[in-house]
Amino acid sequence: MVITERQQKPAVVRPPRIGDTRSYRVFRAVNVFVLLVVVALTLYPFVNIVAQSFSDEQAIRTGRVNLLPQGFNVKTYEIIASDSAFWNSYLNTVVYTVTATAISLVLTTTYAYVLSKHHLKGRGTLVGIAVFTMFFNGGLIPNYVLISELGMKNTLWAVVLPNAISVFNLLVMKAFFEGLPKELEEAATVDGLNTYGVLFRIVLPLSKAVIATMVLFYAVANWNSWFSAFLYFDRSDLFPVTVYLRNMVAGATTAASMGSEQGDVAQVNSNIKAVTMVLTVLPVLAIYPFIQRYFVSGVMLGAVKQ
Amino acid sequence: MRTKWNRVLTALTAACLVVGLTACGEEEGTAGGVDLEGKKVGAMTDFKAGDQFKATQPVEFRVLYSDHPNYPVKNDWLLWSEIASRTGVKVTPTIVPSSDYEQKRSLVVGAGDAPEIIAKTYPNQEDAFVASGAILAVSDYLDLMPNLKAKIEKWKLQPEFDTLRQEDGKFYLLPGVHEERWQDYTLAFRTDELTRLGLATPKTWDEVYGVLKALKAAHPDVYPLSDRFEGNSILNVAAQSFGTTAGWGYEQAQFDESTKKFQYTGTSPEYKKLVEFFHKLVAEGLMDPESFTQKDEPAIQKFATGKSYAISSNAQTIVNDYRPAIKGIPGATVAKIPVPAGPKGDVLRVSRLENGLMISAKAAESDRFVSMMQFIDWLWYSDEGAEFVKWGVKGTTYDKDASGKRALKADIGFGGMNPDAPKKLQRDFGFQGGVFAYGGSTELLQSMFTEEEIAFQKAISGKKSLSLGPPAPFSDEEREQATLWETPLKDSMKQATLQFILGDRDLSTWDAYVQEMDGKGMGQYTQLVNAAHERYKQKNG
Repeated sequence: MVITERQQKPAVVRPPRIGDTRSYRVFRAVNVFVLLVVVALTLYPFVNIVAQSFSDEQAIRTGRVNLLPQGFNVKTYEIIASDSAFWNSYLNTVVYTVTATAISLVLTTTYAYVLSKHHLKGRGTLVGIAVFTMFFNGGLIPNYVLISELGMKNTLWAVVLPNAISVFNLLVMKAFFEGLPKELEEAATVDGLNTYGVLFRIVLPLSKAVIATMVLFYAVANWNSWFSAFLYFDRSDLFPVTVYLRNMVAGATTAASMGSEQGDVAQVNSNIKAVTMVLTVLPVLAIYPFIQRYFVSGVMLGAVKQ
Repeated sequence: MRTKWNRVLTALTAACLVVGLTACGEEEGTAGGVDLEGKKVGAMTDFKAGDQFKATQPVEFRVLYSDHPNYPVKNDWLLWSEIASRTGVKVTPTIVPSSDYEQKRSLVVGAGDAPEIIAKTYPNQEDAFVASGAILAVSDYLDLMPNLKAKIEKWKLQPEFDTLRQEDGKFYLLPGVHEERWQDYTLAFRTDELTRLGLATPKTWDEVYGVLKALKAAHPDVYPLSDRFEGNSILNVAAQSFGTTAGWGYEQAQFDESTKKFQYTGTSPEYKKLVEFFHKLVAEGLMDPESFTQKDEPAIQKFATGKSYAISSNAQTIVNDYRPAIKGIPGATVAKIPVPAGPKGDVLRVSRLENGLMISAKAAESDRFVSMMQFIDWLWYSDEGAEFVKWGVKGTTYDKDASGKRALKADIGFGGMNPDAPKKLQRDFGFQGGVFAYGGSTELLQSMFTEEEIAFQKAISGKKSLSLGPPAPFSDEEREQATLWETPLKDSMKQATLQFILGDRDLSTWDAYVQEMDGKGMGQYTQLVNAAHERYKQKNG
């Protein structure tokens, strides 16, 4: 089999090192430069927000905050940290993200596994059903009516069930499963495993990379999502932190509607906004580097069909 | 992103409205006479203006509630418990983040899932919902609202209410009402700099030009005026005294008193004058070209660092944004100038209608309908209700002395009052929240103003009022057709306005611009408006 053959091969003896060609060195220099620019472009706004979160409001107003905090202050962190509404929505986000990711993962894996079996009758139709939803949907109001009629409004299910299967992720996973050697599963079947045994004891342990990737995709998407929560929740104690954040950031910049009475147009402090943003992205930021190595290999594995 | 969603939602709502209309068009045959039998659960039998409304048995109403990030809604607010104990009404808010309030409102109304009371709705925002039949024609039920009727009578609000009328002669919005017109936005200047250069506060737009020119002479390297609100505020304010509408207040058609006909606003001679004026400011380097595109923060930053000397302002932004921001400049002071006069004289064109509420049509089927109308009448339109939602509970959140002057309790702060108090009137008690009563008597409105703001209001109180133009309500089909024209017309108008002002397009091509607009249906649109106006005039005298 392919895998064992590769393992038995003697290690390749490296030829004596030849210096990189000139054009390759130039390419590398340009490459590094371009990537550094990209890094700077993406990192700069983020560092700026972090600096703002530790700065004095006055310094932000006058535009003195750049990469380093001015007039160092952690008071806002203390205020936000003692705000129960913030932590309540934070907890909501954690619950929604964990539940939604678990549901998505189970559904996507099982659907993708079924679709990867070429001998399945009606497979084309099943793929078609999934792909159809990529291009067409019922629209906002019908969706809203549907969720209301199902009694899911103001429940966890309104945010975790709709769109539980992302078709893109489904197709990546299907391609990955199709790439697994058929012989492995045949051997397992011969040894007495039924379909579920094959899935749980052979296929899934070999699919850690793609599963990790899916966890990352789904978890980040769920962590960042706000729209369905905004649509289906009528109580602020159910809102995830993204809705809380959005109200703070978007609401503050558009609140200056004409004719509003005083008090209505008051802007949220830029300092408070910055602190909330930093606290909201922190978990994703903390987890990302650890899952990222799977991410690269996982996507690559699914991308090429043997 | 927002506008994109807006359009999608508008389109969807419109589609649903059409479906809904054909579906329920046949059922409803009993328009006209209003039957209130069996809808009086909890209602008072003899509810008069000035009476305290108290439901005869406990009732509950749902309200679509716009949740402000600065003072997010809390269930234990004194506001809720006090409403319950005074009126016997339990108010259940449907919480919507204020950032996307309008989207959710379109959605729940379109889906037929709206709460009975749809708060925080500005005049004209109800237009989109009228055809669907999802919104109650409230003008049929004014007899249930003695406080509102008394206010219309006493403050002579009838002409303003007439502007709300739809094609059927009814109106669907219960607006907030002001006793007197109230203009808050204007320009603010760095007054220390004006004093230093010996410049008087400008009283007309020509004097504004002169002052900016003098500031430019003293500081050749800066734009003396760098505006915020993407220019929408200054255009709106200036347009009033130029006899037109622009910016936030832009209306597609304006009424010409001499010909008694509507004409398209964005191509009118008055509008051209306005554009020419701002073009002059930009061309001579007096106004920052970025005024029309930059976000508020950079505009404030320029003002705070001495890179500009004038900026649009309201009473709050002076206190909250500019005064703290210019602290870094020694001796710097800032103040609003009275709204300048323009070519049309020393005038204001301000409606006394504020944001108010719509009522879901389903509510009229409810057995608690009458008590709900009485409750709304008390909370939104009675003097006690207005004072209650603004100041809270006497003896608990505020005191009133013998002369009638109110003062917050020492441990409660709001705006500039008791700034260091541990509790806040909005955040901890829910009053002055911007969802319930707006406006009210001038005495009440000004009771929370600073001395400075009262002086400002006094300074502009002598200005003449320009009429708001007569109603020209569309029928359903006309509205659909009008919307198709309005969007591209407004987009082109905005684009051309900006190009003319910034000098990207020469003002000598104005006629070509008018032609372009005609090609986009301007003429037909104006005809439609005039026809609607004529029809309304014949029907309603």
